[in-house]
Formats: sequence, C-alpha cells, structure tokens
Amino acid sequence: MGRNQVELLVLYHDIQSMLLDAKQEEDCMGFTMEGEEKLKEAMQEVERKIETRYLRTFERLKTRYSHPIVPVQDGTCLGCFSRLPTSYNERGRNEQEVFTCENCGRLLYWVA
Amino acid sequence: MTSTELASYLKETQFIADLKSDTKNAVIEELLQPLVDAHLVKSKHLVLMTLKQRETLGSTGIGSHVAIPHCRTLSVSEIHIVAGLSRNGIDFDGIDGKKVQLFFLILAPPQEETNRYLPILGKICELAREKKLREQMIKAQDLNEFIRIIQKGK
Ligand SMILES: [Zn+2]
Repeated sequence: MGRNQVELLVLYHDIQSMLLDAKQEEDCMGFTMEGEEKLKEAMQEVERKIETRYLRTFERLKTRYSHPIVPVQDGTCLGCFSRLPTSYNERGRNEQEVFTCENCGRLLYWVA
Repeated sequence: MTSTELASYLKETQFIADLKSDTKNAVIEELLQPLVDAHLVKSKHLVLMTLKQRETLGSTGIGSHVAIPHCRTLSVSEIHIVAGLSRNGIDFDGIDGKKVQLFFLILAPPQEETNRYLPILGKICELAREKKLREQMIKAQDLNEFIRIIQKGK
C-alpha cells in the first residue's frame, strides 16, 4: 500500500506541474492542448485513490510550497536540504512508506 | 538557449539512429529505455504513465514528422534528452496526421533551478520547424552528424 500511495502522490504532483506548464507550451511553442479537461479528469481519478490523510497533507503543503512532495537524494530532503534520520531513509527507500520531512514538513520521495 | 547548448545534452547512449517500434506507446517506451538502463529514472512505469498523461493533454506530435514527448517528473534528478529516428515513420496522432520520424524525449525534474526545461523544449520546437534542418536531422546516420546539423541552427 505504501508504494502505491507514494507513487500516486508523485503522479498527482506531476500532473499538476504539467497543467501549470500547459499555457506556456501552448502560447510560446504551439502545442495543442485539446485534452485539458480529459487530463483534469484523469487527475481527479488519481486523487480519489489517494488516502484522505495524505491528500490533506498534500493540499495543506501546497498553500506553503510550490512542490508539496520533493525528492530525497543521498539521505537529504531536496526541499530544505536537511539530512533525514537513517531509519527514515531505510524505510523510505526500501518500502516507499509515506514520510514527511521533520524539518520542512514536505512529503518525501526517495529517488536515490 | 543556443543550438550548441542544446547539443550539449545529447549523448551517444541517448541517441537511437534506428527506432524499431511501430506504435506510439512502444516508441515512447523505446525512447525512455536508455535512461532506465543508465539508472537515470527512478520508476519507469511512473514516467511512462506521466508521459501518457501528457499525450492526453495534447499530442506532442507537432507535425511535419516530428514528435517531442516530454514531462516533468519526480523520477529524474536532472534534465535528460533522448533523440531518436525512425526510418519508416510511426503513427503518433500528431496535428497533421503524418507519420513521425524525428523524436525528442525530454524529462526534467519538477524543481529545476537552472530553468532549462522550457527553453530546451522551445529550442527543439524551433529547430524542428525549420524545414531544411528537420529534413537533414531525419536523415542523420549517427550522433555526430545529428549534432552538426543542430549546430547549424541559431
Ligand atoms: Zn525538508
């Protein structure tokens, strides 16, 4: 379940980034965006699969940060660059449990 | 973004001179595979899903035999480009319905301080819309030739 939830949060986040870039891609580069409504529906489908507690955390973080979920690399939260406890790192990396950074509160995604 | 800067993102292992796929989904996966093999992507299936969602938003087939599948994803920690050529062309439901022969796959992290992603995307669109360059790129035999052609652009 953990892996699934982290990945859903990542996907949810990445679709939101995509929608933010859409205007510039359309106006400056000539991409056509006829599927915006369809993509929003797909995003809502992802949203429905995310457990309420994580979704709440995500939405709350969004009011503070442009990226509520950030990568963890070499044991460091790339949102605030603080080092994470070893126990977090092991469980986050191997089990992909949902964790938030103790320092900045952002959701974490272990990439390396 | 200059053509030379763009060219600096192209690597031998990230250039496919003869794509084997014959469908849209398959070619996206074939373009992604070198990055997976080089462990530059955290989750292949997540990236594939995100690229697919981008195609839902609107086809990245920009017409004239060119497609530029791209997305930001937490699955990568820096910008990566894979360029590929298909000798026979692949149906990609691009805006003019023409088969696509020239592909650029671009992945970028969401947080990207250098702000290179959209300029790179814009530059590739610009080069690909220049008829002469595009036709030469499609015929390139190897990466060196491909880069030489790109550098002829502004
Ligand atoms: Zn943090």
